[in-house]
Amino acid sequence: MKDEPLKEPVRIGVFICHCGSNIAGTVNVEALAEFSGKLPGVEFSTHYVYLCSDPGQGLIKDNVKQRGLNRVVVAACSPRMHEETFRRTVKESGLNPYLLEVANIREQCSWVHMNQKEAATEKAKALVAAAVMKSLHNEPLEPLTIEVEKSVLVVGGGVAGIQASLDLADQGFKVYLVEKQPSLGGHMAQLDKTFPTLDCSSCILTPKMVEASRHENIELLVYSEVKSVGGNVGGFEVTVLRKPRFVREELCRACGLCAEKCPVRVPNEFDMGLGERKAIYIPFPQAVPLKYTIDPEHCLYHQKGVCRVCEKFCPEKAVDFDQKPVEVKLKVGAIVIATGYEPYDCSQKYEYGYGRYKNVITNLEFERMVSASGPTYGQILRPSDRKPPRRVAFLQCVGSRDVNSNKYCSRICCMASVKQAHQVKEKDPSSDVVIFYTDLRCFGKGYEEFLERVQGEGVKVVRGRVAEVLEDVSGNLRLRYENTYLGEVFEEEFDLVVLAAGLIPSDVEELRTILKLSTTPDGFLAEAHPKLRPVETFTDGIYVCGTAQGPKDIPDTVAQASAAASRASALLSKGVVTVEPITAEVDEDRCGGCGLCVQACFFNAIELEVREGMKRSKVNQVLCKGCGVCGATCPSGAIKMRHFTDEQLKSEVEAILSTVRR
Amino acid sequence: MTSYSLFLGCIVPNRYPGIESATKMVFNKLGVNLKDMLGASCCPAPGVVGSFSEQTWLTVAARNLAIAEENRADVVTLCNGCFGTLFEANNTLKNEEETRKTVNALLSKTGRIYRGNVEVHHFAKLIYEGHLDQVKRLSQSLTGLKIAVHYGCHLLRPGTLKKIDNPEKPVFVDELVRNLGAESVDYKDKHMCCGAGGGVRSSNLELALDMTKEKLENVKASQADCILNVCAFCHLQFDRGQRELAEKKGLEYNIPVVHLTQLLGLAFGLNPRLLGLQAHAISTQPFLRKITKVSVQ
Repeated sequence: MKDEPLKEPVRIGVFICHCGSNIAGTVNVEALAEFSGKLPGVEFSTHYVYLCSDPGQGLIKDNVKQRGLNRVVVAACSPRMHEETFRRTVKESGLNPYLLEVANIREQCSWVHMNQKEAATEKAKALVAAAVMKSLHNEPLEPLTIEVEKSVLVVGGGVAGIQASLDLADQGFKVYLVEKQPSLGGHMAQLDKTFPTLDCSSCILTPKMVEASRHENIELLVYSEVKSVGGNVGGFEVTVLRKPRFVREELCRACGLCAEKCPVRVPNEFDMGLGERKAIYIPFPQAVPLKYTIDPEHCLYHQKGVCRVCEKFCPEKAVDFDQKPVEVKLKVGAIVIATGYEPYDCSQKYEYGYGRYKNVITNLEFERMVSASGPTYGQILRPSDRKPPRRVAFLQCVGSRDVNSNKYCSRICCMASVKQAHQVKEKDPSSDVVIFYTDLRCFGKGYEEFLERVQGEGVKVVRGRVAEVLEDVSGNLRLRYENTYLGEVFEEEFDLVVLAAGLIPSDVEELRTILKLSTTPDGFLAEAHPKLRPVETFTDGIYVCGTAQGPKDIPDTVAQASAAASRASALLSKGVVTVEPITAEVDEDRCGGCGLCVQACFFNAIELEVREGMKRSKVNQVLCKGCGVCGATCPSGAIKMRHFTDEQLKSEVEAILSTVRR
Repeated sequence: MTSYSLFLGCIVPNRYPGIESATKMVFNKLGVNLKDMLGASCCPAPGVVGSFSEQTWLTVAARNLAIAEENRADVVTLCNGCFGTLFEANNTLKNEEETRKTVNALLSKTGRIYRGNVEVHHFAKLIYEGHLDQVKRLSQSLTGLKIAVHYGCHLLRPGTLKKIDNPEKPVFVDELVRNLGAESVDYKDKHMCCGAGGGVRSSNLELALDMTKEKLENVKASQADCILNVCAFCHLQFDRGQRELAEKKGLEYNIPVVHLTQLLGLAFGLNPRLLGLQAHAISTQPFLRKITKVSVQ
C-alpha cells in the first residue's frame, strides 16, 4: 500500500451534474457552480447536463489534463450509482481513482426536497463544500490484486447445485459438490411429473445426476457437510466433514442383499414417511452414488450392539462398522450456495388438521403417492382406509401469503396443485376435484395453457381460502370456506385433502453464520442486488442460486444455477481479483491488543497476532469491507479507516456546519 | 397479599350477581384481595360501542382504568368482552401518547386522568398462571363430570396482541378443568363464537340464536353435563339463549351453564346457593346432583 500524500499544491475541479431536470429542476446549478469555484483549493468549477454520458466524462478528462487538476469532485447522483464510472474517468485522465470525491446532490438533496428549491440549493452547497474539504485530505490508494484458485465449492446437490457444477466443470474448473443427504437429487428427485409438460421428473434429473458423478472435473462429497470456511475470495479454505456411511463406497455394488436381510423397518424420509426403508438403505432406486448407507439412529448394532446381519450377508465385505467421520480440506476460488428449500410444516396450521387427520396430506406426500416408484406404486389411495378418493380438495397458500406464517408467495404451489389435480382426474375421470385458491398464479411459459387444459378436464377452481377442515368418524373431511366470488359460506365434504405447503429456506443457519451471509426478511439468502446482481452475495466470491435465494420453479432454478456458474467462472477465468483499498489499518504503536475490534468485525477480517510477546490486531485487507465498525470500536484510536479517516470526516462535518451557518 | 381491582362490567351485577359472589369467595380462598372499583361503568362493550365511536370507547375505558389506577391495583375481569375492551384500550393508551393525551383531555371533564400504570388480567388466566397449585390443594375431586369448555372470542383474539395460549387451539382452561379431576370433552366447533358478541345479539338476535343453537347441538352431542364458560356474556347467551330458543322455536336443550368461578366454588365445597346456581334460566339441578347430594332448594 502506498499512502504517500501528494507533494504538489492541491488543484481541485468541481463538476456539477444537472441529471436532466432531476437535479437542475430543483437545485440552482449555476449558483452552485459559482459557489464551488470560491471554495479553498478549487481551481475550476462547472455544470453539465449529464456528467455520466460520454461527453460529460470527456469534459472531466479534458479539464483535468488542460488545467492540471489533481483532485476531482463530482456533485451528482449517489456514489452507489456512478462512483465506479467516475473513478474510471479520473483514472483515464491520469490521476489515482481514489482522488475522486462524490457529493450526492440527487437522492439526498434534489429528490427529497423537490418543493423547496432554495433550501435544496443551500443544502447542495453544504454537500459540495464537504466534498471539497474532504478532497483536500484525500490520498491516492492502490487496489490489492490476489491470485484466484481455479476451483469451486458447490453446496447442495439438488438440481441447482448439479446444474451449477456441470456448467463450471464443462468450462474446465475443478468442482467439489457437497451434498448432505446420501444421494444427489434434492426435492426434484421426489417429484413424479413436472408441470406443465408432464415430463417425468426422474427421467430428466437422473441423467444429470449420473453425469455429475462421472464428470472428470467434479468431485462428489455426498453425505457430507461444510464445517468451516476461512480465507477469502480467490482462496477460500474449506473443511468438509464426510459422515460415515458404515459401508465402504469403493466396495458396495448395491446388490441390496444387506437391506433384504436387515430386520429394522423405519419410515422412509424420501417418501415423506409414507413408505418404509430398512436401517441399511438407499433412499430411492436411482440414487447417485448408488451405495448403501447405515442409519445409526435405527441400526440395532449402533443402538444395542447386536445383529450385524448386513455385514454377514454382504458378498463384497463392504459393511464397515468402524468407519469414522473424515475431514476433507479444500482450497477453492469461489463458492456457490444451492442449499434449496424445505416444505412449510403444515401442522402449524391447526385448523387444517395436518398431523391430526389421516386424510390430510401435503403436495409433496401426494407426489410420492402418485410416483410409480413410490410407496403405493403410483396409486392414489387415501391413508386412512387405502381406498381411492372420489372427492379431492387442494388447499392453496398453506404457509404462504399469510400474515400468520409467511407473507411471500411460494410460486410453485398453484401449478403443483393444478398438475396433481390433473393426475387425480387422469386416474379417475369421474372424481370431483376442487382447488381452493387465493389467486391462481400461472405465470410461467405454458402454465396458463395448462390450467385451461386441466379446467377443461373438469377440475373446479374456487376462489377462497379454506377456513377450517373438520374430520368425521369415517375419516371424511368437511371443508368450511367462503366462495369469495359469490360471497357465500359453504361446507362441503371430501375424501382427501391436499395442502399446498409453501417453501421455506432450508435450515442453513450454521452455514450462513460460517459464511457471514445475510438474509432477506423472508429468511432466504440475500442477493447483492435483486435485479442487477441476482446471484451474487454481499461477500465477494460467494454466489447463490435456486430456492436458497427464494421460492422458484425448476426452470427458474436451472437458469439461476447457470447464472451463478457464469458469474463464478468470470471470476475464475480472470485468474486475479482486485480488492478495494478502502480498508482498515492498524497503528501498531497505539494498539493494545484488547481484541474488541476482532469481536466487532462482521467479516472475520481482524485477528490478534502475537509479535515480540505482544498482542496486536492485524487486518486482512482482502476480507475487510471498509465498514468502519472496528475503527468506531477501538478504544485507543489505533484503527484508521482509509478514505474515511478521522481527519477526512471531521473536515466534512466542519464544512457542512460552516456553510449552513452562513 | 396481592390485590386486584375487580371489574364487574354490566352483566355480572345486573343479571348474574352469583358470579360476583362466587368470584369474591373463590379469590378469598386463594388469598387474593379484590378491591371494588367504585364508580366504574360499562367497560364499554367492544362490539356495540367500539363500532360506533372509537374515541368514546377509549375514553370510557380510560375512565375505568383510571379508577383501577387510583386503587393502585391491576384490573381483573370476569368477562371476555370487558377483558377485550380494557386490555386493548390499555394497550392503545400505553403505546400511543398522542391518543392518550386526547383521551385524557376529554377525561379531565370527569376530574380523572389515566397515566398508564395498570395491567389488565382475565381471571381464568390469572388463576391458571398464578394459583394452579392452590386450586389443586383446595379442591375436592370432580371425577365423573363431563365438561364442555367454551373459551369465547375476545379472550384470545387478536392473538398477536393478547398472546394468551394458542388462539387456534387453546388448552389452558381444559387443563384447569382436568386439574379439578373432571373430564373436558371434545366437541365439534369448540372454538366457535357463542353468538352474542360483536354487537350481534343487540343487532340481530335471530342470527345470534342461530349460532348459539349450533353450539348447543354440538355440546349436546358430546353428552357433557354442562357448558363451562369464562365470560359473563357467553354465559348469558348460553343460559338465556336456551330459554329464547325454547320460546321462539320450541327447542329444549336443558344444558346447565356454569361460569368458571362457580365451578371453582363448587370444587372448593362452597354452597351452591351462595354461588347463585339456583338463579339461572336453565336449571343447574341435574349438574349439581351429579356433583353432590346437596340440592338447591
